[in-house]
Amino acid sequence: MIDMVRLLAVVERDLKKFQRNPVVLGMSIMMPIIYLIFLGNSFQGKLQGIPMVIVDQDTGPYARNLIDNLRAIEAGPETIEIFNMKDQKDAIRSIREGFYKAGLIIPPDFSKRVTLKRRPEVGLFLDNTDNISAETLRIVVKGALNSLDARYVPIRERTDEVHLRGVDLYRKVDYYQSLVPGVVIMAIFMGTLTTGAFNLVMDRFLGIDECYLLTPISKSDIVTGLIISGLFITTVIAVLVLAVSMVITGIPVIAGIKQYVSIIIVIILTTLGLLSLMFVILGRFNHPRVVGILSGFLNVILFFPSGAVYPIESFPQWLKALARVNPEAYAVDALKTILFKGAGLSSIVSDIAFLSAFTLLMMTISIVTFKRTV
Amino acid sequence: MGQDNKAIEVSGITKKFGSIVAVNNVSFDVIEDEIFGFLGPNGAGKTTLVRILTTLVKPTSGAARVAGYDVVKESDAVRHHIGVVPQAMTSDLDLTGYENMDIYGRFYSVAAKERKERIKYLLETVGLTARAHDLVATYSGGMRRRLEIARVLVHRPGILFLDEPTIGLDPQSRHVVWDFLRKLREEFTMTVFLTTHYMEEAETLSGRVAIIDSGKIIALGSPSELKSQIPGNDIVSLTADKLSENIIDTIKNQNYVHKIVIENTTIRVYVDNGAQHLPQLIDEIRLSGGKILSAAIHEQSLEDVFIHHTGKSIREEEVRKVSYLVGAGTPQKWGR
Ligand SMILES: Nc1ncnc2c1ncn2[C@@H]1O[C@H](COP(=O)(O)OP(=O)(O)OP(=O)(O)O)[C@@H](O)[C@H]1O
Ligand SMILES: [Mg+2]
Repeated sequence: MIDMVRLLAVVERDLKKFQRNPVVLGMSIMMPIIYLIFLGNSFQGKLQGIPMVIVDQDTGPYARNLIDNLRAIEAGPETIEIFNMKDQKDAIRSIREGFYKAGLIIPPDFSKRVTLKRRPEVGLFLDNTDNISAETLRIVVKGALNSLDARYVPIRERTDEVHLRGVDLYRKVDYYQSLVPGVVIMAIFMGTLTTGAFNLVMDRFLGIDECYLLTPISKSDIVTGLIISGLFITTVIAVLVLAVSMVITGIPVIAGIKQYVSIIIVIILTTLGLLSLMFVILGRFNHPRVVGILSGFLNVILFFPSGAVYPIESFPQWLKALARVNPEAYAVDALKTILFKGAGLSSIVSDIAFLSAFTLLMMTISIVTFKRTV
Repeated sequence: MGQDNKAIEVSGITKKFGSIVAVNNVSFDVIEDEIFGFLGPNGAGKTTLVRILTTLVKPTSGAARVAGYDVVKESDAVRHHIGVVPQAMTSDLDLTGYENMDIYGRFYSVAAKERKERIKYLLETVGLTARAHDLVATYSGGMRRRLEIARVLVHRPGILFLDEPTIGLDPQSRHVVWDFLRKLREEFTMTVFLTTHYMEEAETLSGRVAIIDSGKIIALGSPSELKSQIPGNDIVSLTADKLSENIIDTIKNQNYVHKIVIENTTIRVYVDNGAQHLPQLIDEIRLSGGKILSAAIHEQSLEDVFIHHTGKSIREEEVRKVSYLVGAGTPQKWGR
């Protein structure tokens, strides 16, 4: 049973203590935003400026043609940066030493073989320790080779060819913007980790839990009170992080008040879900070091399978299964739906249902397993 | 409540932590409105017993009732009737003194107006009014302790548990706390269960005292009853330049000497009427070749009761090695 006077006393105690530590609030807002800036810029959607060395032993027309094509990519999408070398051995050594990610060797008879259609070949030496760059370079070079004959393609369009014209259903979302839901979830995660159950751990650590365990306060008063104060603090942090992130990444401000209400509801439910999860996980511990260790671990197993950085559809089966019970996955989905598709509450009913059920289950477990004895 | 005047009933409580028996088959009653002192050295089991009686620890066996309620089966009801100052400091460093008291009062559902008045009065009484709105983090240890004692009284508990309430306080603050407790008891009826390892505290505050050692109660009664159990009525402490068998025998053979306890070159002699017999005793020692450097007479205290029962001092660092009981024939070693 919950007693309102005691419940509010728990809430007020916690909020007062938090308010006396303004640094924590500042950091809780700053860190997810810095995270957004770092992730958005270091882990770009497409690669840029991959250094590649070319050894042209042919110097014939087709070799020039190939190099021109690559130069076009260097000048256009800037995927690669081209360097020239005379000697194949030097080039390979430089790749091994880490100066270039790849070396394109054009053998002396390349143009001749192209002209005579006698299996022309080029050598591509890849630094395959950097898989992502290597894959991209392979595609780039293939593309340049395929369009070698492009200049001989008739000007007039061929009518028997199928043309693909994609139609974007929604406003264009760039990679930077697509990270915003994840960053908001990150802010919620950190907020719920450092409020709620964390107070319990700290009180135990400092030995001051006795002073309220000895009073008539009930288990539900303690758990519910700490969840309410944690909810308040975390919601404020998450909303501020969302607002700043939208400004930084240029997500247009959505028109409807309905969408704002939906966003707040999702943030609140996600916070409740994670807060009660933290109570179940951290509820029995008495040392802040445990929270430190668990924070990194929980962040990885909750955040990465959430779909915030990579689509859930491409996960292996077991990871998909994990995503199905991961509250952060539902939160990311709901936020993406509202922020990028402009949808309202009706489109995220299943997310809301899951988050509510999850919260109820976790809260019940944490109250039942709460220990009043020391 | 069946027995209407028992505030606390303890029957056969045992608490084991693995192989450690912290409390060993302890039984006693605390009468309503008395101050009951629980005296024992470090590790005797005082805190464990308080925690059992205040629902924080479950006993391994035995039962206890506090305010008529079973501490295990009716722990919620017990918590409504008690106030506890644990041994460790439990005030919140991030809150002010006033806030600490206010939140506590709300945990007990004390109405706002009453809460305010009581906090004001209590802060005044423990001398913290001027610092009421400072963070507890800025308090000294003694101030923090006084705040905690004041805090537990906001809800006017019928039974108050104090686990070493003056530990770490200087003698002056200790007297402030004692006076405060006496004053409170004049104003409200309240049963107090107090643990301590300070003799003086147990002696000056308690109506009855239980002496506990290694989890067992070894003596129980009012301070004067307990003191009457030890032989003689005064203790003469003598410091000699050297001690020989001859000198010890001489002392033991005086007919007014009941018992002696030797610690280095100091001899504690349990005598009848010390003031009258001291000159004679000094003469006898001088005749047998000893030289007395200093002599003091003091009335028996609970410390002496403890030494009498256990053969060691309450302060572990002053463990007496050997003690002799005069009249029991050959010198006898007192086991633990
Ligand atoms: N949680 C625990 N786990 C294991 N042993 C414990 C625990 N609590 C107490 N003990 C042991 O029980 C015995 C009694 O401890 P307790 O704290 O009750 O003594 P105390 O009389 O309060 O001592 P002090 O004067 O030092 O406070 C000690 O030997 C102690 O080591
Ligand atoms: Mg103790």
